Amino acid sequence: MNKLSLGDQAPSSKVNRWVNPSFIDLSGKSFSPSERTKDSHVLCSKAKPKRPRKRKGETDSSDSNSSYLPKETAPRDQDVPWVDRYLPCSKAELAVHKKKIEEVENWIRVHTNTFKGGILLLTGPSGCGKTATVQVLCQELGLRVQEWTNPTSLEPYTSSQHEWRMPGLSCTSQLDQFQEFLLRANKYNCLKMVDDGDVTDIKLILIEDFPNQFYRQPGSLHDILRRFAKTNRCPLVFIVSDSLSGDRSSRFLFPREILEELDINSISFNPVAPTTMMKVLTRISTLEAGKQSCGRMCVADQAVLEMLCSGSSGDIRSAINSLQFSSLPDIPLEKQWWKVMKDRPVASLGRDVSRTNQRKNKAKQAKEQEEGQAIGGKDASLFLFRALGKILHSKRENPEGAEGAKGAGVPGLPTHLVQHHREALLVHPELVVERSHMSGETFNLYLHQNYLDFFSEVEDVDRASEYLSDADLLTADWMSRSTMGDYGSSVGTRGLLHSNSQQVAVGFRPLHKPNWLLVNKKYRENCLAAQCLFRSFCLIPVSLQTELLPYLAKLTNPMRNQAQIAFIQDVGHMSLRRFPGRLKLETLTDKEPGQLVLNSGEEEDKEECQEGGEEGLPASQPQPTTSQSLQEEDLMIEEYNSD
Amino acid sequence: MSLWVDKYRPTSLGKLDYHKDQASQLKNLVQCGDFPHLLVYGPSGAGKKTRIMCLLRELYGAGVEKLRIEHQTIVAPSKKKIEINTIASNYHLEVNPSDAGNQDRVVIQELIKTVAQSQQIQSSTQREFKVVLLTEVDRLTKDAQHALRRTMEKYMATCRLILYSNSTSKVIGPIRSRCLAIRVPLPSTEEVCNVLTSVCKKEGLLLPPELAKQISEKSGRNLRKALLMCEACRVQQYPFSVDQDVPETDWEAYLRETANAIVSQQSPQRLLEVRARLYELLTHCIPPDIIMKGLVRELLNNCDGHLKTEVAHMAAYYEHRLQLGNKAIYHLEAFTAKFMAIYKKFMEDGLDAMMF
Repeated sequence: MNKLSLGDQAPSSKVNRWVNPSFIDLSGKSFSPSERTKDSHVLCSKAKPKRPRKRKGETDSSDSNSSYLPKETAPRDQDVPWVDRYLPCSKAELAVHKKKIEEVENWIRVHTNTFKGGILLLTGPSGCGKTATVQVLCQELGLRVQEWTNPTSLEPYTSSQHEWRMPGLSCTSQLDQFQEFLLRANKYNCLKMVDDGDVTDIKLILIEDFPNQFYRQPGSLHDILRRFAKTNRCPLVFIVSDSLSGDRSSRFLFPREILEELDINSISFNPVAPTTMMKVLTRISTLEAGKQSCGRMCVADQAVLEMLCSGSSGDIRSAINSLQFSSLPDIPLEKQWWKVMKDRPVASLGRDVSRTNQRKNKAKQAKEQEEGQAIGGKDASLFLFRALGKILHSKRENPEGAEGAKGAGVPGLPTHLVQHHREALLVHPELVVERSHMSGETFNLYLHQNYLDFFSEVEDVDRASEYLSDADLLTADWMSRSTMGDYGSSVGTRGLLHSNSQQVAVGFRPLHKPNWLLVNKKYRENCLAAQCLFRSFCLIPVSLQTELLPYLAKLTNPMRNQAQIAFIQDVGHMSLRRFPGRLKLETLTDKEPGQLVLNSGEEEDKEECQEGGEEGLPASQPQPTTSQSLQEEDLMIEEYNSD
Repeated sequence: MSLWVDKYRPTSLGKLDYHKDQASQLKNLVQCGDFPHLLVYGPSGAGKKTRIMCLLRELYGAGVEKLRIEHQTIVAPSKKKIEINTIASNYHLEVNPSDAGNQDRVVIQELIKTVAQSQQIQSSTQREFKVVLLTEVDRLTKDAQHALRRTMEKYMATCRLILYSNSTSKVIGPIRSRCLAIRVPLPSTEEVCNVLTSVCKKEGLLLPPELAKQISEKSGRNLRKALLMCEACRVQQYPFSVDQDVPETDWEAYLRETANAIVSQQSPQRLLEVRARLYELLTHCIPPDIIMKGLVRELLNNCDGHLKTEVAHMAAYYEHRLQLGNKAIYHLEAFTAKFMAIYKKFMEDGLDAMMF
């Protein structure tokens, strides 16, 4: 990336003097993030170290402070975090899927050529290369990136300080500044600098940092965007990180209506695939190893890399940071860690392999893998789609492998129980549920909605549905629900796995969201409405709903008010022909993180409604219909297994 | 224009059409001047409510018919506000405590307390007690029923309770023993026919006896349903013809089609369709236990005699779970799947037996 302009560097070194570098070196040299290695390599990851806060805004939004020009600077320095040193500088080095890059590139091309800008929203988990992609593409296409950063008054401003303090301007809110920035950045070109050379003045506005006010009132962002859209000249890119833990910022800031109204394109990134990540990590470690003259750093071996890779759950930034940290010598903690690692390198290796389903008899070590990762381990989590897939497309050991295991001393089942024999599971259902960030009950609901597609025999369905019924019974009592919930989900998932005796590979099946919550809510609302509207009949609810209402629909009895008529029309009538139309199946989108956030929200307030619109597949993900998408899907699960 | 059911509802004990012995007993009971707490039970559509209202009229005169619907807010000890609707006259108060869900105990205690604490002003000319009418007692929680027991004793001086429910099996023993239980059985087919004929006569219509019989059979002797059916027949076609279709409710027809779908094919795909239909029924306000009951009835009609015991057994098993459990669909679906499995096995066995 290396695009910090000269203007940036002065404040940056100043600012960072009182920030200790995270990876301080033994040599104790001073640290400056603006210095870049010339041979920067590999990697996508968020490019910026602590970038100095800049005030964008009301006076000179187009000054060089806020635009980065492609520029090679910086002597090499050992102390630069690897994340920065190995920034990707070409498309080939990005650890993002080629199609994604292409998609973003196309968008940028289309919207810069026409001079009629558009708005793009990039979402995805942190550390999956969103920013890096934009930066690299802009560099390759020769665009200026103009980025908004939240102003803070804590920053030492020297030159522009006076303006900032001027009465009248000092009280402008962040919001106004943002708006000013956006409109000015849109309207005016950058100043031509002498040394800019051949850089065009086509620019791209990047917003990654949102003024806090927007989180409180997303409406104000929408207003600004509407105004912006009217006079739009240059492309505007928003980058919003998704997170699994209930933070639904992208949905919150950019609800569906706004996306449609302003014609915002949305592209969502996936976590970095383990294979790509391995490639990157290996490359960095070999480059580093090549540089070692004094042996100051230990070089991580393959097993360590794989562990880092699996522990980072697709966050390449954290993986590289972990790699750098683990390569530091002479740290007591680290020695211990090495010892642990040396003790069981095989185990860790085998563990990964068992996940990728290549070595069958390692399933037992699944436990070991939960023993945590020493450095930089993230809590592994599964998107709902994949978690469901793990249960529904259950993977078991190969029969041959199991024969061997049986020979090793596990006695077989007695003859009258032989029909209950199943091969050992390769997944831990409890673990899957835990990682799906959902309560067992909700997870069971999802399973219930989807399990029928994966069964071929009615007898199996019979058993499976009985297990689900058991699971519901276990969690029925609210007093013991917190304790019994885990048992319930265990019974549900394991029961489902066990009762599917046929184990046919069914290929891709779309997954759906459970209807039950909606149906149940509707049932209660309708019952309540019925009682309110027809109170004058003095009937108990059951006879009201099953006798009076259906017949009222058939009679020409004049109703007292409009509401009653409407209700009778809606509830009293039941068309036999109409196949349940009001229950549209809502397809669960794969690997859409925002989706999961929404779902978990649903589960929290299931008493409330879930009208917060369900979304279909985002435009960036083609509707899976063809066999090609089938392969893609399988591939996806494979990949995920291996981390 | 009101419905026939309401229009021709008898208003005094003397005018009741059937169970006349019971009516005269009730009359005697009231004429003694005082009466114990009552527990009126019997199947839906047998005329429990009518009888109770007649009794109240006998007791207080025409004043009980001036009804007003009130909306009351009760504050639970946990500061939660419970809103409940009551129907009241000057002499009585009717409330369905199970509207309040889990908080029904509070409703019972507070409402009865407020009613019972206020004395009648002119006790010389009026009865010295008021009546509280509690509907759907069988749906009360155990907590509420125990609260009711204490309240019954405490306010005996100023208030009488009339409880009514479909069955006493869910009413706890202490309450049953404190009340005079009155069972109101369903009218016989002839009695239903008589009522239908007399109502039609009052409407100036001529109801052929065959049609009356057909309606009364189809309604399952549920008089409310029979009258509604009869009125629907009138809308459908008049003059009545003997072989006229008696209109049934949409949901019953829908449920029958669902049962047919289950019997005609047993596969996971079919189960998925059935689930969608069950959801559809639920959104049309049909309670899950009614769905279960209707489904079993239709399925039993469709299956072989050998299977009936087993199917009924499984239905009871899952209906129980339905009551205990949280999410009805699991149990409804489990029952459907079970039936499919049983039925499929039976058919395959039958096929094998034919082959050899």
